[in-house]
Amino acid sequence: MRALRYWSTYIAVLPFLVPTASYAWNMPIGVTDVSGDIYRLHMTIFWICVAIGLLVFGAMFYSLFRYRHAKGAKAAHFHENTLVEVLWTAIPVLILVAMAVPATATLKQMYDPSDADLDVMITGQQWRWRYEYMGENVAFTSSLSTPRVQISGEEKRGETYLLDVDNPLVLPVNRKVRFLMTSDDVIHSWWVPELAVKQDAVPGFINENWVRINEPGIYRGQCAELCGMDHGFMPVVVHAIEEKAFDEWIAERKAAAEKEISGIDRDWKLAELMERGQATYEAICVSCHQPGGKGSPPAFPALAGNEQLIADQAWHLDRVINGVSGAAMPAFRDTLNPVEIAAVVTYTRNAWGNDTGDVVQPSVVAEQVDQ
Amino acid sequence: MAKLPPKSMPLHSTPAAADGQLNTHTALPKGVMRWVLTTNHKEIGTLYLLFSLSMFFVGGVFALVVRAELFQPGLQLIDPEFFNQMTTMHGLIMVFAAVMPAFTGLANWMIPLQIGAPDMALPRLNNFSFWLLPVAFTLLLSTLLMPGGGPNFGWTFYAPLSTTYAPASTTFFILAIHIAGISSILGAINIIATILNMRAPGMRLMDMPLFVWTWLITAFLLIAVMPVLAGVITMMLMDINFGTNFFNAAGGGDPVLFQHLFWFFGHPEVYIMILPAFGIVSAIIPTFARKPLFGYTSMVYATAAIALLSFLVWAHHMFLVGLPLVAELFFMYSTMLIAVPTGVKVFNWVTTLFRGSISFEPPMLFALAFVVLFTIGGFSGIMLAIAPADFQYHDTYFVVAHFHYVLVPGAIFAIMAGAYYWLPKWTGHYPNERLAQWHFWLSVIGVNLTFFPMHFAGLAGMPRRIPDYALQFADFNMVSSIGAFFFGTSQLLFVIVVVICVRGGKKAPAKAWEGAEDLEWSVPSPAPLHTFERPPKFERSTS
Amino acid sequence: MWRVIKSVLAALIGVQKNQQREEDFSSNKPLAFVVAAVTVTLIFVLVLIGIALLAAQG
Repeated sequence: MRALRYWSTYIAVLPFLVPTASYAWNMPIGVTDVSGDIYRLHMTIFWICVAIGLLVFGAMFYSLFRYRHAKGAKAAHFHENTLVEVLWTAIPVLILVAMAVPATATLKQMYDPSDADLDVMITGQQWRWRYEYMGENVAFTSSLSTPRVQISGEEKRGETYLLDVDNPLVLPVNRKVRFLMTSDDVIHSWWVPELAVKQDAVPGFINENWVRINEPGIYRGQCAELCGMDHGFMPVVVHAIEEKAFDEWIAERKAAAEKEISGIDRDWKLAELMERGQATYEAICVSCHQPGGKGSPPAFPALAGNEQLIADQAWHLDRVINGVSGAAMPAFRDTLNPVEIAAVVTYTRNAWGNDTGDVVQPSVVAEQVDQ
Repeated sequence: MAKLPPKSMPLHSTPAAADGQLNTHTALPKGVMRWVLTTNHKEIGTLYLLFSLSMFFVGGVFALVVRAELFQPGLQLIDPEFFNQMTTMHGLIMVFAAVMPAFTGLANWMIPLQIGAPDMALPRLNNFSFWLLPVAFTLLLSTLLMPGGGPNFGWTFYAPLSTTYAPASTTFFILAIHIAGISSILGAINIIATILNMRAPGMRLMDMPLFVWTWLITAFLLIAVMPVLAGVITMMLMDINFGTNFFNAAGGGDPVLFQHLFWFFGHPEVYIMILPAFGIVSAIIPTFARKPLFGYTSMVYATAAIALLSFLVWAHHMFLVGLPLVAELFFMYSTMLIAVPTGVKVFNWVTTLFRGSISFEPPMLFALAFVVLFTIGGFSGIMLAIAPADFQYHDTYFVVAHFHYVLVPGAIFAIMAGAYYWLPKWTGHYPNERLAQWHFWLSVIGVNLTFFPMHFAGLAGMPRRIPDYALQFADFNMVSSIGAFFFGTSQLLFVIVVVICVRGGKKAPAKAWEGAEDLEWSVPSPAPLHTFERPPKFERSTS
Repeated sequence: MWRVIKSVLAALIGVQKNQQREEDFSSNKPLAFVVAAVTVTLIFVLVLIGIALLAAQG
């Protein structure tokens, strides 16, 4: 059975082995069993369509050539043949039924997330992803890291243009990973072609699916449901690594998270808050508030020289923590930890000539978030 | 304004009523008011067709803005926000203001002529149905100029992007769609009333040309589903303005409910946009193959089967929202089955050609291209029906390729085929054959250059509705953009052909095409303003 | 009645003999066809649901 699978894939792939540039023409076979099954279903139905097309168009072009009026063809006068019509209705039905059987089998497999080794919660947000390793207390956001100057064309574009993030999703190979997908705002869709995982992230609901990656590597995808302005700028990057490496990585991240949480209680200096704040701003805030805090009024206010922001720290902090209802500004209380919030508020209060000299401590933020 | 029908032609004449002149007008208004107040099915048909042609170019310009931005990676011309408005408006205008009114215009012109009726059943309602459209689309287009911009959530306007996160103009968008929807419903009522009540004596339902049949079935579909669209956009209105939570999970609602309601309308809608095309092609191919349509009866039954099945497949647009497995399987099976009656129609057309006597006038060229290219769209549709595979196709350019193949070389080519076919009847002149051939070949090349690469872009991983893309999609996008400008420009040829045809050209007799059989070819070309004021003697042909 | 059901089933798959169609359309009882059509449609949907349920369980 495996041999049959292998060879049928090989034959199906054959026509597409024509060397072309670095881009693909066809769906990837991918690195999971499901992705391979989907690829085979795709190629099978494709070849069936090609065969039917050749038959139908062949008959058609033959008729167009052979029975031209200009060549003096005389029209026959038949216009019905029940047997032929029944046959050409029944045969497609049989072909489709034949396709439906393996399609059903694959779909059932895709719908079975039971016995997973790891659960990851994926939350779509405008316009980034948030990943949470359930039960491990490790969570982070993952934002586009392609520099804006590449988008505007001022700098040369790299090979992974628009498909780079600051914090990729790290997963172990050979383990069943269950995904729980939802959204904080509008409908997004999480997609990695080589894993053949795509599912809508619907606000207020949790969708389940799973993956078992067979090969280590870096796999890139994009948001696949129109979600507003930066729908095209919230990619997905998965680093699939060997199981041992993954166990080490997750232990490291757990420790770092705990350190971060303990970091909430100490006093931070302005310089470290500014550094951390700038990184946070460029990952999270820049898509709406733009580089330099220039904003994009009226939807996305400017932060640089913003008088109310400069005058009223409490108001500023509240907007970041709790969002602004009726506007696009989300609440970051659950997305960013108190250190990140304190840092980004400190940064925006002091950057671009705002120069308030204010320092916001993570402990203050933590208290406010807990209220 | 176009001078259809030409002033020199008599206002009253029918072949069967040489004795009497029925004059029910006191004084005909002149100039603009003539067109504002007309209740004549031919003039209203012309209004619909001219409206749809101009909207075709408006929607086309929006598409060119999109393709210009997508010509190369990076953001060069417009910002992502405006890009989303352009893709949204392109879809809305093409679906609601170009394709649907074009078919309605052809229906208005041709249904009374094909069934031997003097006009539509409800002429004043007919006028009202038309004039609702310029109002609706002026309103819709004006949203682009409102603060916050126009609709930017895709022509499918999923909640909550289109409710909680939508621009202020959305309420106007909803109103515009309501008005257009009313126009469609009233038009559909008119068509059903006309077809069921006003056929010439002796013409049974099964003697009607297939264009009339497909419109009869389409009209029922319209009446069934336009109210559902009205319902869902009203629920949107409530969510946006009156604090309800139909589509807001935080308030106890469900965004996926929106999708169920929308696609319950949306799927029959796409059949509404293609069944009349099947009717047109089913008239043209027998004419130019000089052979009766193969399996007329089966064609009628297959159309009815398609219409019925179209109510059972809607969630194939939603394979990825998290449907339960049983639902997913049900919709996969029903969707695969609907391919059968559609495929059967293609076989019927090809068999009509077999052993016919075929000539290649412009209407036939477009009809033949329809058969080939629509079928290619149908193949990608069958591929999309395979639900597990759809997990890779959904919301990529593979889907965009599929629906553009069935709509552009599908519906639009059929409309143009119908226009070339019936222009002699409308104007009294044949369209210029040379120019029409140029239009045809440039269109075929343009359409394939634009949309074929999209299959590959989608399979390679390019999502829909993005203003910028990763480098591996660059070559496909460049070819598509070149194709789009090529195709868009070549449509100007169509306008030129139509304008020249209205003003003059080779004179066309009543029966403009040798193999044409239906009733419209028994009245003079150009058709007088009033025809069949006395019902014609209908004689069943040997079918 | 059986003739009516046969015709409705033929309509479902979209294949019908001209002669049969002529007979159907000259029938005095269109209601019979409507009832048959609604019933056959219902059965069709139920059968599809049944197959889907079966497939999901198996």
